[in-house]
Amino acid sequence: MIVDVHAHWGPWFFSMDVGSIDVNVDLLDRFGIDVQLVSAIEGIVYDAPAGNRSLAPHLDLDPRLRGMVVVDPRRLDEARADLTTYLAGDGRRRWVGAKIHTDYSRTPIDSAGMRAAVELTTEFGLPTLVHTWGPNVVDLADLAAQVPGARVIAGHMGASGWPLVARAAERCDRIWFEPCWSAPEAGRIRWVLDRVGPGRLMFGTDATLIDPSVAFGAIEAARLDPAEYAAVMGETATELFGL
Amino acid sequence: MSDAPILLDCDLLVGHDVTTGRWSRPDAVQEVLKSTGISGGLVTSLRAVHFDVPSGNAEAAEVAASNNWTACPALDLRDALGAERELERLLALPDETRPRAIRLAPTLQNVEPVYPAFGHVVKLLVAADLTVFVEGDVRTVSAPFRGIGARVVFLDTHFYHLGDFVVLAREEAGFAASTRMLTGPDSLEIVAAEVGAERLVLGCRTPFHETHSVVRRLLTSKLSPAEIALVGSHNLDRLLESA
Repeated sequence: MIVDVHAHWGPWFFSMDVGSIDVNVDLLDRFGIDVQLVSAIEGIVYDAPAGNRSLAPHLDLDPRLRGMVVVDPRRLDEARADLTTYLAGDGRRRWVGAKIHTDYSRTPIDSAGMRAAVELTTEFGLPTLVHTWGPNVVDLADLAAQVPGARVIAGHMGASGWPLVARAAERCDRIWFEPCWSAPEAGRIRWVLDRVGPGRLMFGTDATLIDPSVAFGAIEAARLDPAEYAAVMGETATELFGL
Repeated sequence: MSDAPILLDCDLLVGHDVTTGRWSRPDAVQEVLKSTGISGGLVTSLRAVHFDVPSGNAEAAEVAASNNWTACPALDLRDALGAERELERLLALPDETRPRAIRLAPTLQNVEPVYPAFGHVVKLLVAADLTVFVEGDVRTVSAPFRGIGARVVFLDTHFYHLGDFVVLAREEAGFAASTRMLTGPDSLEIVAAEVGAERLVLGCRTPFHETHSVVRRLLTSKLSPAEIALVGSHNLDRLLESA
């Protein structure tokens, strides 16, 4: 069981052609990914409610796709409305988490706006994937510790801040780590696993921005034992997101 | 007989990465190459990049000879006069040891493309008919190479800047890119379609970057087997032979 907890749908503004949901499906097929948690690029980089609205019908196109509701910390009333709408009825089978991007929303993790956003997603019971980069991976751990019941995933595992993951893990036991990165430094998956354990690390690709081969290659380099592989690649995510 | 293409890494490093404190020892590089199916490649000493060019280049030559790799001497762009002397020494070597390529590291040496030394050294290298491997952001470090018939591989071309590389490569027949960070789902394929697979060279920055990820991206790409063979090793062979 392979669960990709960090993926996207929609066009990017770079010189690439990945806007069609067919790209997601093609990558799922080629790399044997069983479940992919996707958020709308439009929601992240421009307009969160519009992005969520655009993604919704695409989630019906392939049973492997699950939605991540994008929350803009500056538009929490609209985020509440989105969460109420999309989680109604059997919506929780389709939408399983929330996504907050720190840079595109110009909202630092150690800000009141971000705390309010995580309080909101926690109120709705959703694990929340937060973009982390550099030292703010520790800020996210502190935020999780301050919000009762919050369950957060540090997207990119801090990227260049990955050596701080061990410190972040010590600050709170309700933060998980997801390591996708377009410039992966060698050896960091093994280093992190040996310090936080397989129950705190989850597989993510950043598809369709990054080809899944990058994340699979990093996992291959870490030489996981069977129990580690099962946990990292799917078991932990299955439990956390209720898949 | 295996169908696997021959793989050479144009971006091997030995020595001390002073930015992270990590070391690259030849035996560790050899281990990564073995585990990723890479036969060898082009090696540079970080001692030459950061501290002392002649002794660093001697280290690279020794490591290359001991491991059946090819040495790629570096020049220091902070020292135009020293670069002149080192290039003169290298070009006077017997043909079997005379380098076919030179590595430049303007970012690590804090040298901007507009600095006089950068343009001066590039002109000397072009006049000597050497292939240049250059680190840094292709959008800026490409400037001194334009319009002078340079043969150059941009080692750090990110897929975010793929469009910049393609428009440069359309005008400069000698411009090529390392595959290291061309890791979007269609990055290699776009470069091949726009300017030809001849413009791509496998480069992993072994052992500091995750080599497994770079190799997987190439081998699982949608390039044809012939194109993968070009990128995997034939293009590097051609660049070194033509020098």
